[in-house]
Amino acid sequence: MNTSPITSWEGAEAYFTFADKPALLALFTLIGIGVCVWTIVSMATHENKAYKDM
Amino acid sequence: MEQSVPELMARLDSLESSLSMATTINSEVFYWWCTALMLAIHAGFLAYEMGASRAKNALASGMKNLIAFAFLIPAFYYVGWWIYLAFPSGFSIAEGSEAGLPWSEFMGPNLTDNASGIFYAAFTLFAATTASIMSGSVIERIRISGFTILAIFLGAVVWILGASWGWHPDGWLTTEWGLHDVGAAGCVHTVAGFFTLGVLINLGPRIGRFNADGTVNNIDGHNMPMSLIGLMLIVMGFFGFLGGCIIYTGDMWTTIYNTPTTLSAFAFNTLMGVAGGMIGAYLVTRDPFWMMSGALIGVISSAPALDLYYPGFAFLVSFAGGCIMPKLNDILVGKFKIDDAVGAVAVHGFGGVWGLIAAGLFASGYPNVAGPDISFVGQLSSAVVFMILGFVPGYALSYVLKVVGLLRVTEKAELAGLDKAEVPVSAYPESSVPAAFTNDPTSPTPAE
Repeated sequence: MNTSPITSWEGAEAYFTFADKPALLALFTLIGIGVCVWTIVSMATHENKAYKDM
Repeated sequence: MEQSVPELMARLDSLESSLSMATTINSEVFYWWCTALMLAIHAGFLAYEMGASRAKNALASGMKNLIAFAFLIPAFYYVGWWIYLAFPSGFSIAEGSEAGLPWSEFMGPNLTDNASGIFYAAFTLFAATTASIMSGSVIERIRISGFTILAIFLGAVVWILGASWGWHPDGWLTTEWGLHDVGAAGCVHTVAGFFTLGVLINLGPRIGRFNADGTVNNIDGHNMPMSLIGLMLIVMGFFGFLGGCIIYTGDMWTTIYNTPTTLSAFAFNTLMGVAGGMIGAYLVTRDPFWMMSGALIGVISSAPALDLYYPGFAFLVSFAGGCIMPKLNDILVGKFKIDDAVGAVAVHGFGGVWGLIAAGLFASGYPNVAGPDISFVGQLSSAVVFMILGFVPGYALSYVLKVVGLLRVTEKAELAGLDKAEVPVSAYPESSVPAAFTNDPTSPTPAE
């Protein structure tokens, strides 16, 4: 997968992967937030089960 | 050999370019190491809180710190840095703040921007510090999930809004009221301390902390030496924290408010503050735990005017803080029945307020670059803003978590120990832990 926003280092500025595709960056942000929320939900579920099993 | 004027000019341009790059690199290196040093704060909080917990809760307390740290890094990337850039004038969004959005070209490797990443990193460590401040107070009965939600809200939203208002060259508390708080006593310590107070009210005390007649039982942690080492690590990390509070421009140092200063000024007053707080807390408590907490009180007491105080006076300001805060903690616990397991509300919340007020009392009249001179009224008013900004969201969010059952562990889990309930490994599987501190629910601690 070609993720480079540049074809030459001459005059390069933002050069990170997908830098030329802000919609994708926003999507990755949303997915990242989703991962965090999912993990917190999983954490709460684990706690509920642990308390119930005691 | 004589050189022509164009050749000399070209050489001068080259030298200027090299100097500029050296300055940029020095700046990056400086904040890189400040950030690395700040990690010691979190190592310290980890040790200090695990030591302050009973053995049956040691790992759950530590897990809380680790989780808060891990979640705050992305959370601050997603919203925190943007909040700082967006709200210096209050609640209206500042022009140019889009540079802090996570899909901005500046929020990743960029050959024209040597600043965003390194400042994001330093501020993220400040954010994690606010969560760690709350973390110790709530040990041994808070749910990890509820704590994580609170930590994210405090570290990625609440304190950084306070920083945008009062720890920013264009923050309205400075431009309107002349706030001077170079060491972030207000936005970090006061906000986190009062957020914690709001949480503690809804969370309630640990089982056995108070008797029916209102008297207080001490619940000792299982490893005081580990707590003391942790506190010393926090003090060490504060040198990174306070170094990160100074702006390096190449030809001079400035405060966050663009007033000139020196790293030497911070060195003088940080050390004298540490000593003053330790001696003050020792004088009134004789307790090594409070003596090391006194070191933190000392730093926080002098933090707002680290750049201005005469070191001998910073020592006295911090000594006063070290004497006063343990007594305020006694009042919180004894009179108001607030079970703050490590005294963080007093150390950070009231310590921050004292620091802000002290700067108003003893450093009035110094000019600001933007806004009126430093004044008592400006410092006091700003302290009130930070107290409200911390307390209201902390109380409100913890109340919601309480209502939905995400704030506090069950009574059975609390009595058995949170490690047994939630953690798949044991802190001391082969050691000879005194019966009173084991996971055995039939052997409760004396306080229970």
